[in-house]
Amino acid sequence: MSDRSQLIETGVPFTFDAQRDAEFERLVKRYPTRESMILPALWLAQEQEGWISAEAIGYIADRIGTFASQVFEVATFYTMYNLHPMGKFHICVCRTLSCYLLGKQEIVDYLKRELGIKPGEVSKDGQFSLEEVECLGHCGTAPVVQVNGEFYENMNVDKLKELLATLK
Amino acid sequence: MAEKVKLFVNGQDVEVESGKNLIDAIGAVGIEIPHLCYHPALGADGNCRMCLVGIEDGRPPLVPACKTMAVEGMKVQLDTDKIKKIQRDIMELELINHPIDCPICDQAGECKLQDYYMEYDGQKSRMTVPPVAKAKHMDFGAGVVHDQERCVLCARCVRFTRLITKTGELGIVNRTDSARVTTFPGRPLANRYALNVVDLCPVGAMTSKDFRFKQRAWFLAKSESLCHGCSKGCNIYIDHNKEKYKDDIIYRFRPRLNQQVNGYFICDEGRMTYKLENDNRLNVAQVAGKETSVNEAVENVRRVFSQAKKIVMLISPNCSLEQMQAVKKLATANNAVVSGYSDGYIKTGDGDLFLIQDDKSANRAAFGLLGLDSSKAGFESALVEADLVISFQNDLCRSLDDADIAKIQDKAKIVYIGSYKDGLGEIAAITLPVAAYSEDTGIIINADNILQQYDVAVRKNDPAIDLLQIVTLLGGEFKNREEVLTDLSATIAALNNIDLKHIPSEGIALTDKEVSNVAA
Ligand code: SF4
Ligand code: SF4
Ligand code: FES
Ligand code: FES
Repeated sequence: MSDRSQLIETGVPFTFDAQRDAEFERLVKRYPTRESMILPALWLAQEQEGWISAEAIGYIADRIGTFASQVFEVATFYTMYNLHPMGKFHICVCRTLSCYLLGKQEIVDYLKRELGIKPGEVSKDGQFSLEEVECLGHCGTAPVVQVNGEFYENMNVDKLKELLATLK
Repeated sequence: MAEKVKLFVNGQDVEVESGKNLIDAIGAVGIEIPHLCYHPALGADGNCRMCLVGIEDGRPPLVPACKTMAVEGMKVQLDTDKIKKIQRDIMELELINHPIDCPICDQAGECKLQDYYMEYDGQKSRMTVPPVAKAKHMDFGAGVVHDQERCVLCARCVRFTRLITKTGELGIVNRTDSARVTTFPGRPLANRYALNVVDLCPVGAMTSKDFRFKQRAWFLAKSESLCHGCSKGCNIYIDHNKEKYKDDIIYRFRPRLNQQVNGYFICDEGRMTYKLENDNRLNVAQVAGKETSVNEAVENVRRVFSQAKKIVMLISPNCSLEQMQAVKKLATANNAVVSGYSDGYIKTGDGDLFLIQDDKSANRAAFGLLGLDSSKAGFESALVEADLVISFQNDLCRSLDDADIAKIQDKAKIVYIGSYKDGLGEIAAITLPVAAYSEDTGIIINADNILQQYDVAVRKNDPAIDLLQIVTLLGGEFKNREEVLTDLSATIAALNNIDLKHIPSEGIALTDKEVSNVAA
């Protein structure tokens, strides 16, 4: 996992739009404590902006009434939260044990070469972003790649070539 | 006394207190269970796994000692091969990405990672890949500097800000080998107890900006004392060192456990008052603005003392109980008035519900015990006829403005006998330096009526005379501190049954009946 703690500050205050605001209020009633809203609130922010800024994390912490450090922890723990604007195609490669042993490095190296970016970066044209992530829960069919949330299993470089060709 | 339970530790019978976890219970009888994340003030987090022990009763093979309570008859194994292997493995994991920069690390010499490596590990590194690089010397605010690479992720610091100060500035972000402690952008450490994370950190990841690189831990003499920053009287260690050809210098204060007073912590302001002990000391005697020897100043004080018609003795709420009693008796014998007027030492509204008190003096409660008046009215009426005001450590400039002091100077001589470069010392007709509390022995009573004793910590090359001696030189009836203590026990009802010569280190709680004084 790359360091995700360098948050991006937009300089613009964040607030939920009317729709997310209503959704927040609807969800908050479901939980015994307000801290439970950290995960859903981060999803709402990501849904709204496509990614989560420092301002969004601060806003969520204050809105829930918890420490910003705690929301910061959760946001950086789960690689599914985007902490910077993503490419049109966001590619995640699992780097945990099963995938590691079954050759995730070849896949990462190939993608680095092919896309000209390192994990944690976005290509200049905004088409692709790459991330190494922790176990995606599909260890039985390792190595695993995810594109915009969809799984591609038993991956190898050849299959990846085909897959990339379809991403336009 | 808490109830005792009997355990079998490594096959041996030991008696320990019940209601404690195995680390504390067994630790209290001198058997160490290594641990990184557990701290008695922060509870068991169970994240480091260094404390795994075996219990022979059919439960899972190994359990964390921090989360296991001592119960009667428990058979605890601490030294099986399996446990030793786990301890070694955990140490190896902790050290994979550790920079091992002990030669430039403040913690060296008092570091759990060093100690445990020597005790439980001792193997060579098997790592052939470069360690994960993280951020170094991050300024976290409040004088705390963090090194992410040295951190073992025990979360003590994080839990301190969430559970104790409830300010929650710190968090552990990322996961796996990328995990690290940090603050949220724009929300640095900002609480009045932040420097406690430096003491809590078992390694050198949290350092104090003030102390960094000043001294190696093993050169410091660690003397027990009491903070005089406010009326809480927190228990501290004075860490000091007298380098060759130099004077005895204090490098830091650290909290010292006293469950009855401050628990495991102290406030940052109090911690920094060590600077006053080094740098703000009055060390030259002055008569009429001219430097003189201490002897000459003493002679001058004796002369004005014997010539004065009406004397006001102004005593500081920072003086020890013995000093107060000696001054009180001196006053009675000379038909003088004693006043403890010191409103300027109280910062109303500054205190909190944890440790910090409004009253920035250490021993005001003793005024009540000895029946010393500290009201402004009392002081003013005493002044009416006075032609001499002798201040014992009391910096009147904190309570009165220049104009008021000038009015006093018009009719009376001011003598200042004190330890610090205070306002009053600068304008007094005679200024006489005496030992500060870090160089002296004395008793103070805190805001909660707990009576405690501090002892000589620092020994200066050129030791200052102590205040009790000055009182003796002015004709006071006591020849030494022992005599004052005997007198206090005999004449003060609340102290009748207290052995002032042997005060236990946790102090003695006086009941409310015994001390009726409340801050003025
Ligand atoms: S900085 Fe120190 S106290 Fe905080 S998590 Fe790291 S090792 Fe533990
Ligand atoms: S709370 Fe008061 S006595 Fe305790 S450390 Fe702070 S100033 Fe010193
Ligand atoms: S290890 Fe890659 S999906 Fe679990
Ligand atoms: S002290 Fe028990 S797990 Fe860390």
